[in-house]
Amino acid sequence: MADPSRDNRSGEEEDDDEEEIDDSSYKTIKDAVLFAIDVSHTMLERPPASTDKKADRDSATTAALKCAYQLMQQRIISNPKDMMGILLFGTEKTDLGDGDTTFQSCYLLSDLDVPAAQDVKRLRDLLENEDEAAEILKPADTPASIATVLFCANQIFTTKAPNFSSRRLFLVTDNDYPAKTKQDKDTAVTRARDLYDLGCTIDLFPISRPDHGFDRSRFYDDLVYPSSPSDPDAPVMPSTTSKVAKTGDGITLLKQLLSSINSKATPRRALFSLPLELGPGLRIGVKGFILIKRQEHVKSCYVWVGGEKVQIVTGSTTHMADDTARVVEKGELRKAYKFGGDTVQFTPEEFLQIRQCFGDPVIRIIGFKPLDMLPLWANMNKATFIYPSEADYIGSTRVFSALQQKLLKSRKMGLAWFIARRNAAPVIIAILPGEERFDDAGEQTMPPGLWLIPLPFADDIRKPPEMGETLKTTDDLTDKMRIIVEQLQLPGGKYDPSRYPNPDLQWFYRILQAMALEEEVPDTPDDKTIPKYRQIDKRCAGYLAEYGECFEETFSTMVLHGAAKGKLSHLSSRSKSASAVPATGKRPASARPKHVKVKREATSDKERYAMTDQQMAEMNDRGQISKLKVQDLKEWLFPRGLSTAGKKADLIDRVQQYLERKMG
Amino acid sequence: MAQKEATVYVLDLGRSMGEKRHGRDKTNLEWAMQYVWDKITTTVATGRKTALMGVVGYRTDETDLLGVIEDDEGYDNICVFSEVKQFLLQDVRDLQQRLKPCKSESGDLFSAIAVAIQMIKSATEGKTGPLKFERRIIVISDGYGQFDTDDLDQFAAQITHEKSKIDITVLGVDFDDPENGYKEEDKDSAKAENEEMIRKFVEDDCGGIFGTLAEAVEQLEIPRLKETRAVPSFKGLLTLGDPEKYDSTMTIDVERYPCTMIAKPPTASSFVMRTDLASQAGPSIEPMDVDSTGEQLSAVRNQRVYQVDDPDATGHKINVEPDDLERGYEYGRTAVHISESDANIVKLETTPGLDIIGFLPAEKFERYLAMSRTNFVLPQKANRQAQLALSSFIHALYEADCYAVARLVVKELKAPVIVLLVPRIELDFEALIDVELPFEEDMRRYKFPTLDKKLTVSGKVITQHRDLPNADLMEAMSSYVDSMDLSTFEVDEDGAPTEYMKFEDTFSPLLHRINQVIRWRATNNDLASKLPDPPRILTKYSAPPPDLLAKTEDELTALKSAADVKKVPPKQKGRGKRRREDREKPLSGLDIDELLGNPKRVKIDPQKLVPSFKQALSASDDLEVLQEAVNDMGGCIKELITGSVGESAYGRALEAIRVMRDEVTELEEPDMYNGFIRDLKQDLLDGKLGGDRREMWWSIRGSRYGLIDRKRSFASAVTEEEAAEFYKG
Repeated sequence: MADPSRDNRSGEEEDDDEEEIDDSSYKTIKDAVLFAIDVSHTMLERPPASTDKKADRDSATTAALKCAYQLMQQRIISNPKDMMGILLFGTEKTDLGDGDTTFQSCYLLSDLDVPAAQDVKRLRDLLENEDEAAEILKPADTPASIATVLFCANQIFTTKAPNFSSRRLFLVTDNDYPAKTKQDKDTAVTRARDLYDLGCTIDLFPISRPDHGFDRSRFYDDLVYPSSPSDPDAPVMPSTTSKVAKTGDGITLLKQLLSSINSKATPRRALFSLPLELGPGLRIGVKGFILIKRQEHVKSCYVWVGGEKVQIVTGSTTHMADDTARVVEKGELRKAYKFGGDTVQFTPEEFLQIRQCFGDPVIRIIGFKPLDMLPLWANMNKATFIYPSEADYIGSTRVFSALQQKLLKSRKMGLAWFIARRNAAPVIIAILPGEERFDDAGEQTMPPGLWLIPLPFADDIRKPPEMGETLKTTDDLTDKMRIIVEQLQLPGGKYDPSRYPNPDLQWFYRILQAMALEEEVPDTPDDKTIPKYRQIDKRCAGYLAEYGECFEETFSTMVLHGAAKGKLSHLSSRSKSASAVPATGKRPASARPKHVKVKREATSDKERYAMTDQQMAEMNDRGQISKLKVQDLKEWLFPRGLSTAGKKADLIDRVQQYLERKMG
Repeated sequence: MAQKEATVYVLDLGRSMGEKRHGRDKTNLEWAMQYVWDKITTTVATGRKTALMGVVGYRTDETDLLGVIEDDEGYDNICVFSEVKQFLLQDVRDLQQRLKPCKSESGDLFSAIAVAIQMIKSATEGKTGPLKFERRIIVISDGYGQFDTDDLDQFAAQITHEKSKIDITVLGVDFDDPENGYKEEDKDSAKAENEEMIRKFVEDDCGGIFGTLAEAVEQLEIPRLKETRAVPSFKGLLTLGDPEKYDSTMTIDVERYPCTMIAKPPTASSFVMRTDLASQAGPSIEPMDVDSTGEQLSAVRNQRVYQVDDPDATGHKINVEPDDLERGYEYGRTAVHISESDANIVKLETTPGLDIIGFLPAEKFERYLAMSRTNFVLPQKANRQAQLALSSFIHALYEADCYAVARLVVKELKAPVIVLLVPRIELDFEALIDVELPFEEDMRRYKFPTLDKKLTVSGKVITQHRDLPNADLMEAMSSYVDSMDLSTFEVDEDGAPTEYMKFEDTFSPLLHRINQVIRWRATNNDLASKLPDPPRILTKYSAPPPDLLAKTEDELTALKSAADVKKVPPKQKGRGKRRREDREKPLSGLDIDELLGNPKRVKIDPQKLVPSFKQALSASDDLEVLQEAVNDMGGCIKELITGSVGESAYGRALEAIRVMRDEVTELEEPDMYNGFIRDLKQDLLDGKLGGDRREMWWSIRGSRYGLIDRKRSFASAVTEEEAAEFYKG
């Protein structure tokens, strides 16, 4: 799709020789979301006051605005190029910006655009400042016609986001029949069809009131289409109706709304659409989706400070021949491999041949293995989710379902040859069944499907560094540690990503937002990834102490037994400082916890990692001293007041002399 | 850093090497060079300055020692083709010209080895004696010729000399190979004698390798793995509890090394044809030599230009000086300037460490959450306490069948990540493995319909549906999956069943493919020669093993019939939507056209350009009506452009053009669009649409919304060349 902000002058060719599967293309689909929030007497009605902390406090309209506020902040993080706008309808005021009053009872709170810091602030002020809210959130005497809202949305999308491939109207309302006459409804239906033809989707977020369940079939099923124009095959799940919670229900309207809106936060778009070959002559269609991807914060950019206002700079690149500084068109560029101080060239056709000799994009199953043949160390990258599609093969869904169920039941995985798209490098993948999971409220938290996990080739597997002989645990010691492991289980015995927001990302945007709004910069981050030390101490202090004792015992026996030369029982300089810790800690030595190594001292990293005399002596005895790096030797010599000059052999000599003197 | 190495190839170039033996389609020399070139180009590809090579030929027509040995008496018919040095592409190409079978019968193998020894010696010796080097001599011989055995003891002594030991390998053409059961029929008795003499010298006296060329060439197919030195990405403490605040804590000194890491294929760089061939002078930094095609390439430099919006400037943009630029971030569309001194303000303060958050049962971990490559976590080197402590931790996890979740910060001020720690205990080592886990923001909460049941709009559960597998299909799938088991499909050396397709048996296809063709092109610089196919080993795992398929034919047939999958013919896909009854309907299935009274004509409404255009096209099959819709649409697009203030309406116009192009292509009436776009281009370039509208044309061009050619629509009369030409100007 066209992207007018890009420099198009050079007439860019489709870039065919892309290397890896790169997710960036997946992201370049631009998305525009327009919230349309109903402002009516019922929407504004506040829930009855309650002493229950968990009870609803928000009116439906406020809850929707809070959702919009949260989504806006979230999208600045996750989709910084995407647009968002907020349209209130049914308001007494009519304003589409700049005093435009074409659309009766429509109030454009925030124009459809990439949000600016001011938009965030405005929304927050509205939520925090009751007076301002009262002025704007005042329902008109006659409710807005839904047809007008849809036409208004049509105009906004057409003018503000003409080339966006994904345009979505998020409609929040509790009115399941917003029409007086059949004529009203018919107009709304045609307006909805116009929106559909424009390529926009209506996502309805219906709200049920305690006294009135929302019934889609009365009105909205004639307006909402089963598939989205930007992704005709993506399965659409109608969002569930959010209920206005009764007192003590536990789940507030806000939470319900947030959950359904979050599941639509980014438009779903398939990463690829491919045949899945179960055997020769048996193919079904699947689509791939990225459900897990590391969210990074925006890269720093250049800003122009030469004017009155700080401005973002757009850069464009021109290619120049290195020898003549002549500007080169993209079509003139040739690719070649550097080889032996020169280049090895291929024609463009050959470049295609090199990559395409492995055949067409496909997921081809080679066979099956038990799940336990996939060790965790053999992970390479994030997994990709696949789901069946009937677009190319009728019957795909049932075959896919049978495969998924069989793999789940027998705890097996498929192994497959996978080429994600033309020119992509072939990889071997494991196909794992993914079980559908729900939260307490019955909302889906993990979709059912299959996961593609890329596996390492022999080339990708690294050897661990040579460790030599190492000390091994004893049953006793292992048991002592095992108790600790069993004591400190995570809640529910599972890893739940939603408990761990990325502290770095959150901090980054908190600061950035504060700076953008020229507010005070917060000083304490909220970091949920820091272990709960108090709990650890409460649950495990005793066991840790026991382990510590057992460790000291085991270690000294091992070292005594293993130390024929009788030198190893020497406490190293660092072990000495370790034993000094409890002394300052005013606690009896017997209750001393185990410190396998010293707590962090006020020493530099270098000293901290330098080896002790004892360790060096051991290296020397095992004849491994020559394996140390010059840097290691120097770091060891320096704090002992020895010269670090000379070649490696000199350094080793010096170390050995020192050890002889010291250790006798 | 890899060890320095010096390799000398000793090649038999005698007359018999030019012959084709035992039904091979290559001469002995060509066959041998397959091996030698592969070795040499592999070394050249590393670009290492410390990987030195030299080449000596014997049984050559001429004698030329390049002064390696002063007195060349007794070294007749030996040629030093290259002294020991780093090879570049040019050296490879030069050698290729020169290594040809000679007419000569005479020339002594052992004297050639003596020359090689001397070459290595002088290349690997410093002022104080032999330097640290891997020394290698690789000899290729077909065993013919007269050998002088006088000084063999002396040579052997030099080869096995402790400080300058040389690994010697002899690869024989059709030498007997009892191990692999090869014996050459009708072997010349002189050759047999020579073979034994060489074997004795190499194996017994020098401790070298005596092998056959056949074996060596065969092994070329097996990709070589590049070993990378392990570099720790973190050295620090594995901690349980907070040792600053609490007494009972555990801290272990650990180091973290890569366990898996994608081995990337070499990437091609951009070059451009040199245009200044006439005047070779100029500030070229590193002029490229004449390359394979005889064309010259020059490196490409990128230059960036920076612009900001300025509503007053022509084109609404002005160029700005790099000096006026500073670092900042985008918060939405707001620019936030962060001065150099404040650069760290957005960074979360962190200190390095690997802190345990908690544990979970292995079976409860969702395997697909692991999202990165993996690392080893090992005890600090030579730290006995750490070894014991980590060992107890690893075994405790293993026995409890649990994993640990920990927070990892590798360096000060680096962002924390959450990692899963998994015990790994092998025969000869034990370690923790770490792999990154997703944060909340990394999860996309898309919802998908349930696969094992169907819900109706009213919420009723249906268990029988065409999208749900019936009992037959479930049964057939189950048998097929079970029959295609790979876990015991392979047979190991002892004849016991073992896993098929182990990790260590699979090789990165693209990596080795690209390396293969680079090496191949280095020695086949004729652009007319066809690229070789990838070695079979790279495609071995691209399909199920044929033996297994043969065994499971019945299960597959049963599955196919139970599945009853039908391919959708390509014609139907995406087509036909223009027919009204096929148009997408809302959830209720309401027929909207009927509601509107099925109008035969829909007027293009500039207020809702795109929808009305689509509706107009679907209203009729009449070509005239269609043409009229296209004309009206075209008119509206031109009006949009004419009325545009600056570029304000270009986006809308562009979208309308796209829709028109797509719809018309689908209707298979490309001429309707082509007529319009030709006309539009002319108007834009002639400035007929309200002033200078070249920007609009550039946007059309950049979006590739030009003529619909034959490739896009078979009904088009426009060739691809014409379509490409259209974009020019």
